[in-house]
Amino acid sequence: MPPISHTWLPFLYLYGVGGIFFLIGMIIIKKSNAIDLTKKRHRYWYRVLIFGYFYFVAFHAITTLIALYW
Amino acid sequence: METASNHIQTTFHSIGSSTDWIVMVVYFLAIMFFGSYFGKYNRSTKDFFFGGRRFAWWLIAFSIVATGVGSHSFVKYSAKGFQYGFSSTMTYINDWFFLPFFLFGWLPIIVYTKIRSIPEYFEKRFSPSARFLSTILLLLYMIGYIGIGFLTLGKAVLPMLPDSFSFLGMHFQITLMGAIIVIAIITGIYITFGGQTAVIFTDLLQGFILLFAGFLLFFLGLSYLGGFENFWHLLPTSWKLPLADLTKPPDFNFVGIFWQDGVAGSIGFLFMNMGLIMRFMATKSVDEGRKAATFNILFMLPLSAIVVGNAGWIGKAISVAHPDVVPPSTSPDQIFVVVANIVALPGVFGFIMAALTAALMSTVDTLINATAAIYINDIYRPIKEYFRKGKKEDSRKVKDKKELAAARWSSVAITALGVVSVLAFKGFPTVYEAHGYFHSTLTPPLVVAIFLGIFWKKFTPAAVITSFVGGVALMILGLHDPNLITPFAHGIKMNPEHPYSYIRALYNLIVCSSVAVLTTYTTNIQKQIVAKIKRKENHKQIIYALTGLAAVLFVLLVINVGSFAIQFIAIVVMVASVAIVTTYLVKYDEEKQTEGLTVWSLAKAKEMFKGGKINDAEGETIKVNWKLKEGDEYTANFSKNDMEKMKANVGDLVYICDARKYLGGLKSIHTVFGEPHEEDGVVYINNEELLNGVFIEGKILTAEKEM
Repeated sequence: MPPISHTWLPFLYLYGVGGIFFLIGMIIIKKSNAIDLTKKRHRYWYRVLIFGYFYFVAFHAITTLIALYW
Repeated sequence: METASNHIQTTFHSIGSSTDWIVMVVYFLAIMFFGSYFGKYNRSTKDFFFGGRRFAWWLIAFSIVATGVGSHSFVKYSAKGFQYGFSSTMTYINDWFFLPFFLFGWLPIIVYTKIRSIPEYFEKRFSPSARFLSTILLLLYMIGYIGIGFLTLGKAVLPMLPDSFSFLGMHFQITLMGAIIVIAIITGIYITFGGQTAVIFTDLLQGFILLFAGFLLFFLGLSYLGGFENFWHLLPTSWKLPLADLTKPPDFNFVGIFWQDGVAGSIGFLFMNMGLIMRFMATKSVDEGRKAATFNILFMLPLSAIVVGNAGWIGKAISVAHPDVVPPSTSPDQIFVVVANIVALPGVFGFIMAALTAALMSTVDTLINATAAIYINDIYRPIKEYFRKGKKEDSRKVKDKKELAAARWSSVAITALGVVSVLAFKGFPTVYEAHGYFHSTLTPPLVVAIFLGIFWKKFTPAAVITSFVGGVALMILGLHDPNLITPFAHGIKMNPEHPYSYIRALYNLIVCSSVAVLTTYTTNIQKQIVAKIKRKENHKQIIYALTGLAAVLFVLLVINVGSFAIQFIAIVVMVASVAIVTTYLVKYDEEKQTEGLTVWSLAKAKEMFKGGKINDAEGETIKVNWKLKEGDEYTANFSKNDMEKMKANVGDLVYICDARKYLGGLKSIHTVFGEPHEEDGVVYINNEELLNGVFIEGKILTAEKEM
């Protein structure tokens, strides 16, 4: 079994530190009204952005599990 | 195959057969012919560089594949795939974090403010001097990127060439630089006569071919190994993990690559890569640009990661099962070509190599085109403007013709500079490390400046110029003494030959941001000092002296004069001098100069783009026939009923496009609603609009209100 520094630590670092950047971005575009959630189209994009983050979290989590246990 | 005794790597020559070469030549001719056909859509520099802001999202999304695959290349990812396994994909799957900033920050700003280059943004947002410095940094970045592209192309082609050849009794040794020069000549010829529309369409075709060629190679490789099960079980577990070890080894560790590629690279790619930005600007609207970018990151990049890295994974599995066929010591940068030759039949190998090299050429073409755009916008036009003072201005047509010629000649010069820049990168063991070092070193100052410029209203001209000068100075200090980077290295071991190739990006980002933030927060102090200086009779001399002092200190730092402590003090003095000089010289009105240019005033940017109040009412897209009208009024006249369906008013913006969806907006125009008439289902346009849209008689058009 590879060490944790090669399995879950990079994963946590990626979505922890990367997640902070992502969250700051979401807050800024919302606070500045660049994304206007009263508009239907913008609500769609807001959901797409959140979906994308978890899509990649799931992708890396699943591929790590497959590498370790399959 | 040869293994030099003083090297641990095995290198190959003369791989492939004459059939492969014939396939490659035919492929290249076909692609060049295909690209030149679309050259007719370049009627001005706007079309040459930006493709006329007309395309559908899917066309741009697929055309980006070739650029993305090319720039991240089969060569460098196969190399890392061969050395470290599936973690070669990680740089393709870390771009999402900055997407909110891009989709709802930078993308609408560049489209609505009609900015044609990044330095132009710096002039509008800050000052002409910020534009000048950013032009220098951006040209260095783009030309360096072109150099990396040529280096990769050279390394891809070299294993297929013989060691040497004879011509007219003379003996020639084939070298990497020799191959690169020949490739550069071919690339230069193509881009010079193509332009952005040609590049978009060539890339679109190549995007599909590349995906096909990459997956074909993967399936051929799996079949060679006896199926997926065999392949999977030949690889050690550590090879199957999607992310690299956090800090080991120095030439491929997660944390270094995260900061170099995931942060500096992602922001650089989305915000600074003019080649990519111009693609998004070629979409018909901001929303289409968002769709193209999102689709690309969600779906195309993960697929591209498999396409570019799988030759390395297959190579690793073969080296485990048959070390006599692929020695584990094979040069990583050659593994793609070696594996393709082993698993593919003659002809098929030629096709795969043609797809690879053509994609790399596409990337280089895109970059050359983008760099030429920077030259025209930020050097040629300002110089022309300066010398034209008092003289009569050329007509629009004459001006466009001259600029188009200048764009083509500058493309040739940029190609040559790109070749020269290869010399700076060819000493690295792999293209991957050369690219990583390049990103870590050249992107941070511009990344910080663009990012803070867009998202932080308080960011001042003094801060941006100081972060360019002071940030670069502190980066140079880190180059002179890499121990300075150690506290940021997360425990990564320093390789004395290429110290901290990746993690230096974190150090560079921190020093540039620190200078920027510190200078912004001391704006009032700078203003007080400047006010005191202005009260003195010799205030101009004081400013000249401070400018001279900063310049001298910068030169001394570059040539590495003095100890570390002296250099650090010199940088502090330099930063203070530059901040004071800029505050003294630049007239800056925060309210006025941030209007429409930061994320906080996008609604204003949209109004500026339209030239009036925004009409956000959602209308229908309608189908119409076109008729030619007399005169040269740039409006489209629809019937009252049709305008009602589109919820449009006179003066609103309209997008008119050939209704055949597969054209992806190639035949389309943007114009303004004129006075309505009574003829339903008909739009009247003038001759110039007809020529721009390349509309065909009898073909139905669609029309939709933009805003």
